[in-house]
Amino acid sequence: MSLIERCRKGQMEAMGLVVIVILITLGMLFLAQFALKEAGEKKIFTRKGLAYSSMSAILKTTVETDCRANTIPYLGRDVLEDCAINLADSPEGYSKYKCSGLHSCVFAEQKITTLLLNTLGEWNKRYEFQSRLINNEGAMPIFTITNKGGCTGRERDTSGLFPIQAENAGLIENILFICD
Amino acid sequence: MMTKKGQGRMTETIAVLFIFFVLILFGIVFYFKYQDVAIKEDIRESLASRAMETTLTSLFLPELQCSRGAAEPEDNCIDLIKMNNAMRVFKENQDKYYFDIFSYANITVFQKYPTEEKWTVYEKVKLNATAKEPTFFVVVLRNEASKESSESSETTFGYGYISVEVYR
Repeated sequence: MSLIERCRKGQMEAMGLVVIVILITLGMLFLAQFALKEAGEKKIFTRKGLAYSSMSAILKTTVETDCRANTIPYLGRDVLEDCAINLADSPEGYSKYKCSGLHSCVFAEQKITTLLLNTLGEWNKRYEFQSRLINNEGAMPIFTITNKGGCTGRERDTSGLFPIQAENAGLIENILFICD
Repeated sequence: MMTKKGQGRMTETIAVLFIFFVLILFGIVFYFKYQDVAIKEDIRESLASRAMETTLTSLFLPELQCSRGAAEPEDNCIDLIKMNNAMRVFKENQDKYYFDIFSYANITVFQKYPTEEKWTVYEKVKLNATAKEPTFFVVVLRNEASKESSESSETTFGYGYISVEVYR
């Protein structure tokens, strides 16, 4: 075989390799397109909307249990605020509202747990509800409610912060995470 | 000698071409499979998008949404008095007006607290539907009538959700 023929054969083999590499690259691109496909628009919208609407609804709900008060308290601005003011006396001490005879912190935690279980829990959603008090001494947790292990280390959407000003106690920061 | 060498080369070329066309064929099959999945995904996305639109429309529908005079309407809130009347209006004008807004859909409101209740607000089932897409949103249910009978006149807010199902 002459030198020219050998060179031509080498060129042909190189071309063949290039074609195979191009085909494999195209295949990889297709696979990457599948793998890196973003979560559907609806999925994100639903998760974000659900987190926001759940939190907003929880805080607006009125408590229709006997709370030993003259008015019907709101779960958010009344019971949670009372909980923050009397956090030091929880779980058995004084609180303005004693719904079902319970301290407002205990009642709020129980009620929010039930409400979330009846909606997000029924739809098999994984979630995490956090309520904490922020004042001059720093931030301290009031309670955290989780379902299916919570959302730590997962792709999640948030309701955004829902702050409530608690008289002489600080600021209550409420947040709900929903994840896959 | 020369002929045998030529035959060998020919076989080699045919083998290379065969493998090449097999690879091309694989590519074409894969591409059409992908297209098939992509089209199905597009159809599903369009149904999901309609579900989103219908949900938003029902959440912000003046016939249902809580309002007070000229003040801004409340988010994620359904007025039970308005809703009870709207149900009748929806039924009477379903084909004349509301079908253009909701098309084939089911809108149901569920109350989970203080009592469990369910209201079917709009119902237009597609008989030969091939798919159904449900969407849920949590809402509060304002009830101004609850205390009319008692001495107090306070408004109460129940906790529930709205379920919107659309059909394809």
